[in-house]
Order: sequence, then C-alpha cells, then structure tokens
Amino acid sequence: MTSPRRHFWIAVAAWVVLSVLGIILVAGIQVLPEIASDEAVIENSAFVLLTVLSVPVLMFVVVGLVYSAIRFRATDDEEDGPPIHGHRGFQGVWLGISFALVIGLFGYGAKGLLDIRGSQTSDFEVQVSAEQWAWNFDYPSAGVTSKELHIPVGKRVHLVINSTDVIHSFWVPAFGIKQDAVPGRPTQIYVTATVVGTYPGLCAELCGFGHTDMHLTAVVSTQADLESWLSAQPSESASPS
Amino acid sequence: MKPGLLRAVLGAVLGVAVGLGLLALASGAGLIIEDGQRLGLAYLLALIGFLLGIGAFRFWLTWSAGREVDPAEEHAAHGRAGDWRRYFRFTTDHKVIGVQYLVSAFLLFMTAGTFAMLMRFELAQPGLALGKEAYNSIMSTHGAMMITVALISIIGGLGNYLVPIMIGARDMAFPKTNALSYWLLPLPILLVAINPLLGGFDSGWTAYPPLSQQANLGQQAYLMAFVTVGISSIISAINFLVTVFRMRAPGMSLMRMPIFVWALTVTATLALVATSVVAGAFTMLLFDRVLGTSFFRPSRGGDVILFEHLFWFYSHPAVYIMGLPGLGAILEVVPVFARKPLFAYPLAVLSFISIGVLSFMVWAHHMFVSGMAEFFHIPIMLTTELISVPTGIVFLAALGTIWMGKIHFKVPMLWVFGFIWAFLIGGITGVYLADVPTDITLSDTYFVVAHFHYTIVGGTIFGLFAGTYYWYPKITGRMYSERLGKLHFWWFTLAFNLTFLPMFWLGIEGMRRRVADYPTNLGGVNLFVSIMAFNIFLSVAVFAFNMVWSWRKGPKAAPNPWRAHTLEWQVSSPPPVGNFEHIPTVSAGPYEYGSAAVPSPGRPAP
Amino acid sequence: MSIHVAAESHGEDPVAARSNMLLGVKLGILSEVMLFGALFAAYFVIRSESGGWPPDGHERPELLLPGLNTLLLVTSSFTMQWAVRAIGRGEVARMRLALRLTLLLGSVFIIVQGYEFANNGFGLDAGVFGSTFYTLTGFHGAHVLAGLGFMAIVATRARKGLISAEHHTAVEAASYYWHFVDVVWLFLFSTLYVL
Ligand code: HEA
Ligand code: HEA
Ligand code: CUA
Ligand SMILES: [Cu+2]
Repeated sequence: MTSPRRHFWIAVAAWVVLSVLGIILVAGIQVLPEIASDEAVIENSAFVLLTVLSVPVLMFVVVGLVYSAIRFRATDDEEDGPPIHGHRGFQGVWLGISFALVIGLFGYGAKGLLDIRGSQTSDFEVQVSAEQWAWNFDYPSAGVTSKELHIPVGKRVHLVINSTDVIHSFWVPAFGIKQDAVPGRPTQIYVTATVVGTYPGLCAELCGFGHTDMHLTAVVSTQADLESWLSAQPSESASPS
Repeated sequence: MKPGLLRAVLGAVLGVAVGLGLLALASGAGLIIEDGQRLGLAYLLALIGFLLGIGAFRFWLTWSAGREVDPAEEHAAHGRAGDWRRYFRFTTDHKVIGVQYLVSAFLLFMTAGTFAMLMRFELAQPGLALGKEAYNSIMSTHGAMMITVALISIIGGLGNYLVPIMIGARDMAFPKTNALSYWLLPLPILLVAINPLLGGFDSGWTAYPPLSQQANLGQQAYLMAFVTVGISSIISAINFLVTVFRMRAPGMSLMRMPIFVWALTVTATLALVATSVVAGAFTMLLFDRVLGTSFFRPSRGGDVILFEHLFWFYSHPAVYIMGLPGLGAILEVVPVFARKPLFAYPLAVLSFISIGVLSFMVWAHHMFVSGMAEFFHIPIMLTTELISVPTGIVFLAALGTIWMGKIHFKVPMLWVFGFIWAFLIGGITGVYLADVPTDITLSDTYFVVAHFHYTIVGGTIFGLFAGTYYWYPKITGRMYSERLGKLHFWWFTLAFNLTFLPMFWLGIEGMRRRVADYPTNLGGVNLFVSIMAFNIFLSVAVFAFNMVWSWRKGPKAAPNPWRAHTLEWQVSSPPPVGNFEHIPTVSAGPYEYGSAAVPSPGRPAP
Repeated sequence: MSIHVAAESHGEDPVAARSNMLLGVKLGILSEVMLFGALFAAYFVIRSESGGWPPDGHERPELLLPGLNTLLLVTSSFTMQWAVRAIGRGEVARMRLALRLTLLLGSVFIIVQGYEFANNGFGLDAGVFGSTFYTLTGFHGAHVLAGLGFMAIVATRARKGLISAEHHTAVEAASYYWHFVDVVWLFLFSTLYVL
C-alpha cells in the first residue's frame, strides 16, 4: 500500500523528467515557416517561449490524469475515497505559480509588442489601399502606384492601410505582420524586412466570397534596386498622400 | 382548435400574410418598400402569431383582462406525467422544458455538424467543389447554429431539468416565462436553417459591417434570429437567477449548492448583463440595413470598429456562457465517480465568479489586429492572460478530486478525462492568442479555429456528453448502453483530436479561416482532417442511436444508480411531477463522500 | 398528488411569489440598463469622432417641447409613487386616481414626442445625427408605450377590484419600470438635447 506522499513524489518525478524532455524538444525550434523581418523574429521567439512554458503546464495535468487513471482505480464498489476537501499548501502553490507564469508571459509579450508597434519612426512610407478584391500600393515619395508591394531591405517601412469598401486585412506571413484595412479609418503597421526576396501575402479578414483569392505579392529589394524600379514605373501626376 | 403546434404554424403563416399584405398596401399607396423591410415585418408578425398560436400568452392575456386563470387550465398546461403530447405543447413543467431544450439542442447540433461535414468536403482537396459563395454560407450557418447549441444545450436543457431539483424546489420561479423562453427559439432557428433560400449569408457568425450591410437577405435573417435568441436567453437567465436566489430548500445554503448550480448561476448573470448589448448592436446594424440609419456606415460618419467593440463585449462573455456550464457539469461528475469530495470547492466557486467578472474586461483580445485604439492592447493582454488563473482552478479542483480517489471509469467519467485534455489544449492555445506578438500572425488563421473547437467542443460538448450520460438515468428512468457509450467516447475523442490538432499546424503554416480554397501543399493534411471529421460524424451517430434505443429498450434505472449525494438522486427516476412530496431539509454538503458522518449513498431520501 | 403539489408549489405562495416577481423585474431592468448603455456608448463614440456636434448642416430640436416632456415624466414618477403608497395603505380609490394621472401624463408625453418627431425637419436617415437621435429617443418611446400598456392593465385589474393592500405586486412592478424609464429620459434629455 503506497502512502499518499509516495504517490505524490513519484508523480512529481515523472513530471520533471517529461517536462525536461519536452522542453529540450521544443526549445530553439523555428515555429514560423518563413522569417524575413525583425517583427517575425520577435514573434517566433514569443512563440518558442510560450511553447517552452506550456510544456510543464501540459505535463503536470497529463501526468496527474494518467497516474490517477492507473493507480487510483476503484477495487470494489462500496468503499469511498478519503474525505479530503482541499489542501491549503497545494492550492497556494498552484495559484502562486500560475500567477507567476501569467505575469512573466505578459511582461515578455508586452515587450515584444512595444518592439513591433512601439516607435513611430520610419525611413520609407507606402500607402496600402484594399478593395473587393485587390490591393493597391502608393509610394508618396515617388508619386508611383503599383499592384505589387516593393520595399527596401533593412529599412523600417511605415505602411498606412486603407479600405474603400469592407474590412480587409493586410498580411504577409513572412513579415509576421497583419493589420486590418478599415473603411473610413486608416490603420498603420511597421515592418523591417531583413531578407531580399519575393513573398506572398493574403487578405486575412473575410470580405465576401472573393476573399478566398485576394492575394498580394511583396518584393524586398536593396535600396538601389527599389529606386530603379520606382523610376521605371509610370509616375502619375496626381500623387496621392 | 386547442392551442398547439398546428395552431402555432397557422399563426406564423397568418403573421407573414398580414405583414406582406400591409406592406403591399403601403407600396400601393406609393411608398417604396424594400425586401429587407418585408422580411423584417413578416418575421416579427410571424413570431407573434406563432407564440399566440402555441398559447404562450393566453395566461397573461386572461390575467391582463382581469379574469382569473382557472386552475384546471393552469394545471393542464403543467403537463401530466407520461403524456408524450406535452413535449409538443406550451408546457410549464421545468422537466418537460428541459427535455425540449436538450433534444432540440442535439438535433441542432447534428444539423450544424452535418453542415460541418459539407465544409470538410469542400476543404478535403485544394480547388473548389461547392463553390465559394456556397461555402461561405455553409460556414456561417454552421457557426451560427453551433453557437446557439453551445448557448442553450446545457443551461437550457440539463439546467432547466436539474437545477430546481438540485436546490430542492418544485419548479422554476416563473414556469410560464420558462416555457416562453423555449418557444421563442424554433422560429429563429428555422429562419437561420432556411437562409440559403434567402440568398445565404456569408459574413460568418461575427457579421462585421460593412460586409454584413451589403450582403443579401439571408444576412438579415441571421441578425433577426440572433436578436430573438438573445431575448430568449435573457428571460431564461432572469428565471434562473430568481430560482437560485429565492427558492432553495431550507438548509441549502449558497456554499452547499452543487457546483453545477453555481456554474449556471454565474452563466445566467453573464447572459443577463451581456446579451442586451449585442442585441442593441445587432439592432443598430438591422436599422442600418432596413431603416437607412448610418451607425456603421463609414461613408456617412458611422464607425465600423464600434460594432466590433459592442459585438465582442457580448461575445467574449458569451464564450464563457458556453464554457462555464460545461465546466460545472464536469466538476459535478468528478466527485461521484472518484468517490471523493470535490477538491477546493470554495475556491472553485470563487474561480467561477472571478471568471465571470474578468470576462467583461477582455473582449478586445479579438481585435488585436483590428486597428482599434493602440492603448487597448497591453491592458487587454494582461486581463486576458489573467483569466488563465481562475480557469486553472477548475483543473486544480478536478485533478485534486481524482487524486487518491476510488475512480470508477463509467462513461461520464471517461468524458471528464477527455474534457480535461481537450480543454487544456484549448486553454493553453488561447494564451498563445492572448499574447499580441503571436496573435498578430495567428489571428484569422486555422490556429484560431483549432483553439475554439478545442475550447467549445472540449469544454461545452464534452461537458454536455458527460452530463447527458450522467443524468440520463434520472431523466429517462432507464440506463444507457455502457458499451455503446464507451465506443462513442473513444471514437469521438480520437477522431476529434485527430481532426483539430492538425489545424494548429495548418494555422501556423498560414492557412486562413473562412476560405474555400488553400495552397496545394496543405492538401494532404486537409484530406486527413476531413476523413477524421467524418469519423466524428459516425461516432455521433452511435451516440444518437444509444440515446434513442436505450430510452425505449434500456433496463430500468434505480433512483440513485451512481450512489450520488446531490438531491436530484434522492427522488425517483424520473422524478415525480412537482419533484418532491415534501420539500426536503438539507443537512450536509453535496459531496460528503467517505465521511462517517454522512452515510453513502447520502442523506435519507426526503 | 400532483394537484396537491401544484397547490403548495412556491409559485402559489403569495409572499414568495411577490418577492420573486419584484426581483425578476429588477433583473429585467438591469438588462435594459445594459441595452441603453450600448445605445449611449454608440452615441458618445460616434459623437466624439464627428467634427462638431451636431454635425454641420444639422441643428438640435428646440428645447421647449422636450423640456415640457421632462416636466411631465418627472411629475408622472411622483404620481406613480403616490399610487404605490396609496395601495400600500389599502386606499384603492386614491390609487386608481393616481394611476390614471400617471397614464394621462405619460400619454401626453408620447403625443408631444410624436409631434416633435413629425416636425423636427430631419429624419432617421439624416446621417449619424438622425440615426442616434431617433434610435435612442425611439427606443425610449417604445419603453414608455410598454409602461403605459402595463399601467392600463393594472388599471383594469384595479377596476375589477383585483388589487388590494395584500395583492398589489403589479403596481409596484409597474412603478419600478416607470421610474427606470423616467431616469433614462433624464439622461436622454441632458445628452441628446442639452449638452
Ligand atoms: C468555450 C469557449 C471558449 C473559451 C473557454 C475560450 C478561452 C480562452 N480564449 Fe478563446 N475563443 C473562443 C472560444 C473560447 N475561448 C472562440 C469561439 C473564438 C473565436 C471567435 C471568432 O473569431 O470566431 C476565440 C478566440 C480567441 C481569441 C482571438 C483570436 C483571434 O481571433 O485573433 C483569443 C485571444 O486572446 C482567445 C483567448 C482565449 C483565452 C486566453 C482563453 C482562456 O480563458 C483560457 C484559460 C485556460 C487555460 C490557460 C488552461 C488551464 C489553465 C491552467 C492549467 C493554469 C496554468 C496555465 C497558465 C498560467 C497558462 N480566444
Ligand atoms: C459548439 C460549437 C461548435 C462545434 C461543436 C463545432 C463542430 C465542428 N466544427 Fe465548427 N465552428 C464553430 C463552432 C463549432 N463547430 C464556429 C463558431 C465556427 C466559426 C464560424 C465562422 O467563422 O463564422 C466554426 C468553424 C468551423 C470551421 C472553419 C470554417 C472556416 O473558417 O472556413 C471548420 C473547418 O473544418 C469547422 C469544423 C467543425 C467540425 C468538423 C465539427 C465537428 O465536431 C462536428 C461533429 C458533429 C457532427 C458531425 C454531427 C453528426 C450528426 C449525425 C451523426 C446525425 C445526422 C442527423 C441529422 C443531420 C439530423 N468548424
Ligand atoms: Cu479582402 Cu478578405
Ligand atoms: Cu474571447
């Protein structure tokens, strides 16, 4: 007949082992399929931290369940378990730990948020405007309009997003940025692309049946390439802003 | 003709006729009438006609006219035991209403689930099978119907049937209002079901304007239906609260109430306070569509984000209106099959209350990428993550009770174990979404879809199944088939996890919500998901068969087959009309297992 | 057995029935408060976002009629309370008088409101201004009508001698509701018309 303490410590040991194994497994993995901006890096690290912290929480509950299922089955129909109504110490520790976890997660999340959306400085601005079901990009500095998004690498780009009809959402997974396009109120988001290349983007807010294929293309190029591309575009007289 | 379904249907048809007739006259008189206005008036009058026909108002009408309701009539409305017709009438017995709610909820669940199968059919392969428009309508209808299921099934079904018995009362405080709250539902649900005939609605259950303003009549049908369901849940919430606070048997102190009753009390409070806000928002949206107002018309000074705020101010508490009854049912089942008192009962009660309070301070976590005012993000992130603490208590209570218990793995207990796993996954992934940096990428992807199926199915539906099996003997007076029950559990749980776990991955890989088509490289996983989803369908079919067959052929159930301590098990199965011969006097807590003072199977039957 | 049950069931016990009913009414009013809360929230948000209020091209209705209406409703709250006090003391006749007065005041309010609506010179579709103005006042008007209907019912029951010092829950319920409607109006008047 195992004593209550013994049960408890066996379970705790199992929990520690499984948690450590789990953490080793998930720590340092890249969660996001593609990372091409500072923002995406921040989000990926937040992702990893959350996963690392979730492992012990998950394991604790699972170990508790499985261990009980194995060791605490009723042997006969009549007898009842011990009349335990609670355990102050255990309840206290549980509350304390979950508070600590929450505060920690919150702190890290808040920091990440401020890194992504905090500062208002930018080196390059693009006006994004969405409509059912297409994207248009204006480059006020050059007075150019295009169907593709072209931004310089390594620069903090300021995207001002508008919609002419319903709510859309500007999303380039590789940049890790998503921002709704709201009719009647421009929204903004900043992105610092880090890898030259061409990336797919999508509309992430249901905007009618055309939503399914409301895609866009984002091109990250060096400042020089961007300049030449801009000058190659048919610059319109009435430059919007 | 006596009041009844037939007369109700006639009343509804008459209502439509009158409504359309009036507007025909109006347009004859030179007014411009839009279809939206036709639909609106026709629906309103149809609803009134339906309720008049079913006899919902006859007692109040006689009362208003200053005539005394004759007791015989009243007693007939209460329903005679054993008479099947009472289930199709305006019956005021809470047990009848409970069964009406429960059965309707399961039928609705099955219909909406069948819609889900259509969705999985479309999504099984890249490319289009049903087409985008059809898909959006099916998806929205699935969501709308399932939300209704989650809102009414446990509190309306199990709650109505059991709460009065559990607190030692003969009925709800307002039996007629109770029946009214049920009979308000059929018409709006029908309206949502037939919305394809009205052109479907493609805005999703969130119905964000301006999309929901330009979409066709089916959209308006959904808005009106939602408001009606809201009214129904408000009045049933009032009924619950008055019952719980005014009609407890002597000795049934608040801290002796079964945890299930506590859960429903908090739920009812949430429903009461939050629902009228969304009713207001949807009414404004309807006015924008029908009466030419411009609350949410940016072109004319309206504000789109405002709608999102009002909608989520209700709809986040709503997810707890869906969730809490499930948690309550689970914690009710645990002690019985672990033969141990509920662990940390006072803390669990406290956690329900604090969940209720907190859930009014987190709504904007659905709007992290919506472009709302910047200062919302950080406080909302904090409050949202804080909800994890009280919700965690529920797990603490469940685990603490199981630990060192004498576990009997009857079907209800299996669902408890399934619940703890599923709701844990749902909850933890909820924290991923509460964290703004990760939500920016995850919002509006299948990660969210997976999250809320793990929470709603894992919370509400698992709780609903646990409760349904647990109280089945009490409600039907017969035992269900244990073997079919176990088959249902294992099949459903495996299929459910294999359906929705891969969706987390899909979401991270960048598969958006609410799309009929997706990149080809995700084809394989989606096919797998669809196949597993179809397995859920089959397992539910097993459940349906088990319930129906056992009700007719199952072995007779003893009054207290589980040797439980709560009051409902101290009366016959099913309980007599009026529940108790004499109102019992409660002398001990609901979960005094293993204590010498209180002999199992509990207090001597009253 | 079931008959005897129905006889002794809670609903039948007048004291319990009374407190249940009044609690129910209070809770109902709570959800109504939230409803108007939502409408007011919408109003203030939209107002704060539009340049000035009222938006140029619109101006507010004259204060005269609404002011009169405010007077009417406030008085009606007093007459209503008078009715409750009277019936509490068992003075049925006086209660009926007070009730009729309240009905009268409320009806005049509605008529004046209707007249104002007809002569405001702007409609429900007049941008956000018309939308908020008519939706809020309209919702309130509907509540006034409901209150009047309820009072009319109470009045008929009183005429049939069904209301007494012991059985006057309906009067109290009506009074709660009526005071609520009154308070809402005070908010409407001060925010929609004055401030
Ligand atoms: C029953 C329904 C239910 C429940 C209970 C929850 C619970 C939670 N939900 Fe969920 N949610 C939905 C239903 C539900 N949700 C729905 C339907 C949507 C989509 C709506 C739509 O757009 O269509 C949604 C969407 C949604 C979003 C928006 C995503 C987006 O659209 O971008 C967010 C973001 O914060 C969120 C967060 C949470 C959190 C933090 C919880 C928390 O309450 C979870 C708390 C529980 C735990 C954390 C697990 C147990 C805790 C412990 C074991 C203690 C220790 C753990 C820690 C300290 C972490 N949910
Ligand atoms: C209670 C809530 C609930 C429940 C239980 C479910 C259950 C299921 N859901 Fe649902 N779902 C939602 C609530 C729910 N859903 C919501 C709110 C949305 C969001 C909508 C929106 O974006 O607006 C959504 C969206 C949603 C999506 C995303 C759509 C999109 O974004 O494009 C998907 C995709 O796979 C899905 C699948 C499923 C599946 C496979 C089930 C399965 O678990 C279903 C299992 C049940 C059955 C299969 C029934 C079986 C029936 C029988 C055996 C008997 C047959 C008899 C008759 C027909 C009478 N759901
Ligand atoms: Cu545009 Cu979705
Ligand atoms: Cu939420």
